[in-house]
Amino acid sequence: MKNYFQNIWQSITTLLIGLGITIKHMFKARKGNVTLQYPEEKWPRPERNIGFDPKNYNIIRSKLHVDIDDCIGCRKCERACPVGCIKIDALKVPKETDLGLTSSGTTKRLLISRFDIDMTECMFCNLCTYPCPEDCIFMTGGPNSEKQPLDYEYSQYDRSRLIFKFANVTKNDIRRITTAPPVQQEIL
Amino acid sequence: MTIDNIIQWFQSWFPVNVMVLFITSVLIAAVVIFAIMAVNALVAVYAERKISAFMQDRVGPMGQGPGLHAGKWGLLQTIADTIKLILKEDIIPKAADKKLFIIAPFIIFLGAFIALAAMPFGPYLIASDMNIGIFYILAVSSFGVIGIILAAWSSDNKWSLYGGMRSAAQIISYEIPAALSLVSVLLLTSTLSMQGIIQSQAGTVWGFLPNWNIFNNPFSFLAFFIYFIAGVAETNRTPFDIPEAESELVAGFHTEYSGMRWAFFFLSEYGNMLVVCGLTVVAFLGGWQSPIAGVMEGAWWGLFWFLTKLTATIFIMIWFRWTFPRLRVDQLMNVAWKILLPIALFNLFGVAIWTLLVG
Ligand code: SF4
Ligand code: SF4
Repeated sequence: MKNYFQNIWQSITTLLIGLGITIKHMFKARKGNVTLQYPEEKWPRPERNIGFDPKNYNIIRSKLHVDIDDCIGCRKCERACPVGCIKIDALKVPKETDLGLTSSGTTKRLLISRFDIDMTECMFCNLCTYPCPEDCIFMTGGPNSEKQPLDYEYSQYDRSRLIFKFANVTKNDIRRITTAPPVQQEIL
Repeated sequence: MTIDNIIQWFQSWFPVNVMVLFITSVLIAAVVIFAIMAVNALVAVYAERKISAFMQDRVGPMGQGPGLHAGKWGLLQTIADTIKLILKEDIIPKAADKKLFIIAPFIIFLGAFIALAAMPFGPYLIASDMNIGIFYILAVSSFGVIGIILAAWSSDNKWSLYGGMRSAAQIISYEIPAALSLVSVLLLTSTLSMQGIIQSQAGTVWGFLPNWNIFNNPFSFLAFFIYFIAGVAETNRTPFDIPEAESELVAGFHTEYSGMRWAFFFLSEYGNMLVVCGLTVVAFLGGWQSPIAGVMEGAWWGLFWFLTKLTATIFIMIWFRWTFPRLRVDQLMNVAWKILLPIALFNLFGVAIWTLLVG
């Protein structure tokens, strides 16, 4: 009999303790919880401190970037890519058309009408970046931090949004530049 | 506003056939009760998710609602869930007993639905103030167990069947202490009418406390706890959720259900909560009586007090759910038969003596 009441008493008190704990947590929830609302809030990226400067990194396999203004359309990157996820269309322009210079002083001879990289296919081997004569295709961050900050959070709701389109010429531009003035063409 | 009132009111305006009037008034009451259940489920599900999240140091639903993805509170979460449930495929297993499988959720729903007909939401807000109100509620709220067994049996699934059996055993066991502690209230109020029970709780007791049955005497104080525990068990909620014990039985009796039919199980679970909490409030916490006698009384204040007390009791149920671990089957039966039942019997005896000696 004594055991019976002791049992009841014990269960009541322990249950009350439990209730106390949950209610305490409930009221300090807003301050104490650790959930991070990820896309809206982000953890600060921790300091990289493994002994040497991030600029001395060989490479960070983050996200490909193309400085399209520097690209001369040599298609070396396209050929280097083992999976073939870079698609380049380079158009010939009349000799007289001036497409400008790249940042290293090379004259641009071709108009890049399409420069697509399908990041869903890319396997981040970085092989495309080595042959580039203008150093204009590279992974963001790391040694390239000054050119492009590190960016590895680029997930999308739609797969087609992961095909990065770097070409920046419009259809109008293409028509205007590639059709040379008729007079000059006769001379040629 | 009872159905009788509506009929009389209509009759004074449109002198048509009484049968037609009766059906329209019942339909009006039914729609209102359904709306109450739906809103209750909508709010309670949201509250439950938020409260459980806070108790577990999470943040709960945050996505839906004003501002959408960056929404602060996820206020529209339940509505989004409802839309999702409506759009979902209604799957009926091949081996299921089709007819029973289809009607089972509605039978469970009916148990909670018709019980609310006798629930007094305010001094005048009751669909039907019958003179055996509390008896009626006790009778029809056990109706749901038939639906649970039907659902379990017709699913042709071992988990479902186990859940259904457990649920039947549990509800039948806990009905006894629940009914006994309500009987001890009836000794004090000497009426079975819901409004009568509330009216008898007017005034003060012990000088300052409201004359609610819970404060009336030590025995009815104990009876409140017994009824509430048994009530939680009757709604099949944690810590008494062995019928749907998700870690043992997948989802118990509603394992095979999907879409809107599943939503009806949910609706009736929250409807049952409403019934049990409503009965607790009416029988022990003075229904729509104001906590301070003579202050803030009237039809609308009555509604306000009733809803406040209802919310508080529902909150306690949610609090229980997110605090206590589930009982084992044998422990569950132990609690019902070896602890609650003797105490409830003792209580009944005590209340009887008390009414005899004190008043
Ligand atoms: S990183 Fe590799 S796979 Fe990706 S585009 Fe460059 S060469 Fe192709
Ligand atoms: S290798 Fe460099 S310059 Fe050549 S097409 Fe690719 S990005 Fe342009």
